[in-house]
Amino acid sequence: MSAGTSTVELTGVGKRYGRTRALADVDLAFDRGVTGLLGPNGAGKTTLLRIVATSIGADSGEVRLLGRDPSRSHADVTAVRRELGYLPQELGYPSDMTAFGFIEYVAVLKEWNDREARSQEVRRVLDAVGLADQASVRISRLSGGQRRRVGLAQALLGDPRLVVLDEPTAGLDPAQRADLRRTLSALGHRSTVLLSTHQTEDVAALCERVVVLAGGTVRFDGAVTDLVATAVGRVWLADEPGDDALVSWRTGTGRHHVVGGRAPVGADPAEPTLEDAYLLMLGPDAHRVHTPS
Amino acid sequence: MSSLSIPASGIAGHRAMAVIEARRMARHPVFVLGVALGFVVLGLYVVLVGDETGIPVVLTLPLLGAFYIGLASVIAAALLTRSTEVAVETIATAPGTEARRTLALAATGIPPLVAGLVFSVALVVLAKVIGVAPQEWWFGTLPDWQVWSIVLMCPVACFDGALLGVLAGRWLRFRGASAMVVVALIVVSVLGQPLLDTGSSEWRLWVPWAIFHTGDNPDGTQTLIAGNPAAYLGYLLALGALAVLGAMWHDRTARTPRFRILVAAVAAAAVAFFVLAATTGNHDNRDSDPIPSRATS
Repeated sequence: MSAGTSTVELTGVGKRYGRTRALADVDLAFDRGVTGLLGPNGAGKTTLLRIVATSIGADSGEVRLLGRDPSRSHADVTAVRRELGYLPQELGYPSDMTAFGFIEYVAVLKEWNDREARSQEVRRVLDAVGLADQASVRISRLSGGQRRRVGLAQALLGDPRLVVLDEPTAGLDPAQRADLRRTLSALGHRSTVLLSTHQTEDVAALCERVVVLAGGTVRFDGAVTDLVATAVGRVWLADEPGDDALVSWRTGTGRHHVVGGRAPVGADPAEPTLEDAYLLMLGPDAHRVHTPS
Repeated sequence: MSSLSIPASGIAGHRAMAVIEARRMARHPVFVLGVALGFVVLGLYVVLVGDETGIPVVLTLPLLGAFYIGLASVIAAALLTRSTEVAVETIATAPGTEARRTLALAATGIPPLVAGLVFSVALVVLAKVIGVAPQEWWFGTLPDWQVWSIVLMCPVACFDGALLGVLAGRWLRFRGASAMVVVALIVVSVLGQPLLDTGSSEWRLWVPWAIFHTGDNPDGTQTLIAGNPAAYLGYLLALGALAVLGAMWHDRTARTPRFRILVAAVAAAAVAFFVLAATTGNHDNRDSDPIPSRATS
């Protein structure tokens, strides 16, 4: 990617909350397609997504979204927001609103001014997330997974060029996650989609690119297959847990899935998963919560 | 580019937001309860207090509508203003500003305004049908414009109640804030006007609900309190506009030089209407002819 042409360009971006460093000198660029952000709690994923979503500003570095610097002027940030869809990590809902009413409210804020066109668009996004038959139900009466899909639906309004989703699959059952993958993969053909998740299988199934964050820094940035390849030869199926394994557990077959360390006696090499590679990439950092300065 | 065209922002967008907010207000249970109580109490008053001379002290009755509908509107509008803030991260990353959302919230005043107008019309129709004592301060004993001005204080106060609720919702974040505002409103209105002080009674008109009619005195007369009710209506409307502007002031991006000038102009208008209300119209308190059946002494 040449400079100045990516949908999202972050150069030397840093962010602190008091004495805690959330992001440090992050350089990333994103274009059309679905990119997954992985990292332990406190890695800086949500901070990164909030900066890209114009919800907060960076303390240092340069942020360019859709070719604009959102901190430069109100006109610039408004122009970015016109082509942005954002699902925050925690989204509350007005208790008196139905699913349709809430999304319509957001649609009005997103300048869908014509009533007929707005209604059609609201119905389209509700249908896209499988909530067409729940449109008139108050959000307070929907399940957690359905509420999450309401949040996703509002992020899809207007087919935005830039879609930022913070843990979109949280609270969804397997069938709903499969539906979501289908929706997002279609969206990735025409938009830049950034999503954070703790579900490595979602990233493996959906994303062509993965960024691993830890301690506010980028640990890996590349194709999912490249990350998985880093774990080849470091994962085994064995009769005993490895003594110096990074992590191991007893599988349903009775054998142990061993990640990292030396191969246990009698172990068979196993096909690594994205989760294995992610755990190996982070090592002990996989359990860290935050990184004080 | 986006595969779907997004219409441009403007008046149409603001109207769409305003319609949504007005609709939410009309359905809000606190508002609906206030409206129901206002009409029920008016009906009970007419049935239980009415006598052979008709509806007593009819010019005091706009207070019923203002009390039940207006105060309920304060609470409902404050709750509506706060309600969308639970989704603030999504809402704040949409193109519209907080000031624009606040301006749309001013439309929550429309249902209370309509309810107050219906209340006032009902009052006038009931008085026409059932009748009032010939000595009452009402059409025939007062200039029509003064009667209408006092009657219309009800819808204007209902409208202002919602606008005050928007102001409270934007600035006061603690639980029970809107109820506290309602109590403060009542306390200020009661303590702020020295009802029996005939010498300076025009200057009571700074309060958000000024009384122009005392009700029955012990000798059966009724006192009309000095001041210009039409100018007072203008003062109330200016206060409502100030409430909206004060709520919009919460958004730092809205505080442009032009906006500051607008705030100053509306504040000046409020002062001007107040001075007009206090210095024109009826200069002295006036007692009606006694209504013998109402005398208690």
